[in-house]
Amino acid sequence: MKRTVIPFGPQHPVLPEPLVLDLILEDERVVDAVPTIGYIHRGLEMMVEKVEYTEMGFVVERICGICSFMHGMGYCAAIESIMDVEVPERARWLRLIWAEISRIQSHLLWLGLAADAFGFENLFMQVWRMREEVLDIFEQTTGGRIIHSVNRIGGVKRDISDSELAAILARLETLGRDFGTATRVFAKDPSIAHRLGGVGVLTEEEARAVDAVGPMARASGVVMDTRLSGAHLYDRLDFEPVIETAGDCLARVLVRLREVEQSIDLIRQAIDRMPKGEGLPLDNRPRGNPQGEVFTRLEQPRGEVLYYVKANGTKFLERFRARTPTFANIPAMIKLVKGCDLADVPNIILTIDPCISCTER
Amino acid sequence: MDRTAFLSRVEAYRNAGWRLALINATTVMAAEGEEEGAFELAWGFARDGRPGEGADEAAGTLELIRETVKLGEEVPSVSGFFGAAFLYENELRELFGIDVTGIEVDLKGQLYKTATRIPFSHRAVRERLEREARS
Amino acid sequence: MANPLNLPMAPRALRNLFSRPATRRYPAEVRPRFEGARGKIVFDVETCNFCTLCARRCPTLAITVSREERTWSIEHLNCIACNACVEVCAKKSLTMSKESRAVQVPGDGSDGRRPGREEWHGPAPEAAS
Repeated sequence: MKRTVIPFGPQHPVLPEPLVLDLILEDERVVDAVPTIGYIHRGLEMMVEKVEYTEMGFVVERICGICSFMHGMGYCAAIESIMDVEVPERARWLRLIWAEISRIQSHLLWLGLAADAFGFENLFMQVWRMREEVLDIFEQTTGGRIIHSVNRIGGVKRDISDSELAAILARLETLGRDFGTATRVFAKDPSIAHRLGGVGVLTEEEARAVDAVGPMARASGVVMDTRLSGAHLYDRLDFEPVIETAGDCLARVLVRLREVEQSIDLIRQAIDRMPKGEGLPLDNRPRGNPQGEVFTRLEQPRGEVLYYVKANGTKFLERFRARTPTFANIPAMIKLVKGCDLADVPNIILTIDPCISCTER
Repeated sequence: MDRTAFLSRVEAYRNAGWRLALINATTVMAAEGEEEGAFELAWGFARDGRPGEGADEAAGTLELIRETVKLGEEVPSVSGFFGAAFLYENELRELFGIDVTGIEVDLKGQLYKTATRIPFSHRAVRERLEREARS
Repeated sequence: MANPLNLPMAPRALRNLFSRPATRRYPAEVRPRFEGARGKIVFDVETCNFCTLCARRCPTLAITVSREERTWSIEHLNCIACNACVEVCAKKSLTMSKESRAVQVPGDGSDGRRPGREEWHGPAPEAAS
């Protein structure tokens, strides 16, 4: 049986980011896949040697454009944990609200790309039109659409007034209703069901064996959500992780659809429960240099992200490591791609929600 | 490091259903009076599930195995127990130069494409720090 | 096999036929940026006392200040709009406007100036009273 090697990526019409995968085929079936990381490896973890810890937040934010807010939040949370800084409560709530809005924005982006991957351009354009509303909210509250620069060590830089928060919630709820059309299409359209149903099935045992994280694992029935651990004020909200059991591409789409609705609900709960008023403190800037090390976890839209920061008392950190969820999902992706048809490869790779900027840092 | 003790701890985590979250390395430069530096390794295991009354005690936590290895010391691979380990261990080999033996899927140095080979090795870190000090 | 006549996107597609496009005809129509959007740094050379704090705080070293020669310059294309210089300036010479940066400043580059670089020369210091 003759084997062919086809390079998938780095440029491919379906990929949002350059992923380099060498597919080894026999006829039309994929037999093996070899990943390479390094097309956009920028060595950001090495920059701690040159960039002071106060300014490293800007670098960490720019690891990726889609997951930008949570990277900044995770880095600041890690440094605050080392230096034992107590962040004012309103700042923590604001971070949670922005994080959930960031999750909505990321899932909307991915849903549009998933639709584009199998050619449904109308749906892609509609979902991205809804995403523009979310980006406008970000520009009004943080000053930037993609890179927000609103986290600083000890708190946040800007406040959102209570009236603005109510207005934002109203806009998100209108968006949620508009988004209902997209949900109906994804769930009921026969061509989508044909393209995605039964494709790339990851059973629960397989998901556990390859240590998958995020919606990838939740769509296979594994109950896993870093927000359940209660850090960063998530223990003050009521929610259940969104679980599907089918484990195929359609299940992963449905998980992300329902997570958008869940995020709107979480934002409503957060606005309800946060301390209200003007002029509350937003910032508790620490003095001196950090010393110590910490592991911090957050739930990014793609799964669990783990930050390791080691500081030695100087203004330069010794080590910064961001183990992003796509990095953890690459073994799952390779497992799924083996044994499938070549035509299904783009769909499968897209359903792990690859964020290669995060993976390669 | 004690290979058998380490591997039996890893096996215990696997059997109890924990998930491998990360394998991390930090380059520790040699201090004054020491000959060579070392690497601090950490294996992070996470327990998923909802922490709550009567449920899994450790749910939602992250536990670590930490080891310090000298330059040139061999580190056993855990890819036999955890399906995701091969990616982290290939990264350790290519970015840090740590000799991890027995990885199930060996990507033979092709995983990362970096301008400097083994960018986090002691020699590369020392060269970068000297270059920064000079400029 | 699902019913192929079930077309949930049809109402939306019909509505799209008869409604205005959601996109803007850029560059003929430019979206006004929101208040508080982070854009371009605006400098007032009259109030500056050349203390060089802004240059020291800039994470990308986009600002260069010379106290002796009384010059202040910024590379707009290196600026990441982080607002650190605006916050640290004691004389309030720096503000962040919401307009986005022009890629080229006037000048054809023949004098060796980099596009995106703007430079000011300050007045001579007043004699100490």
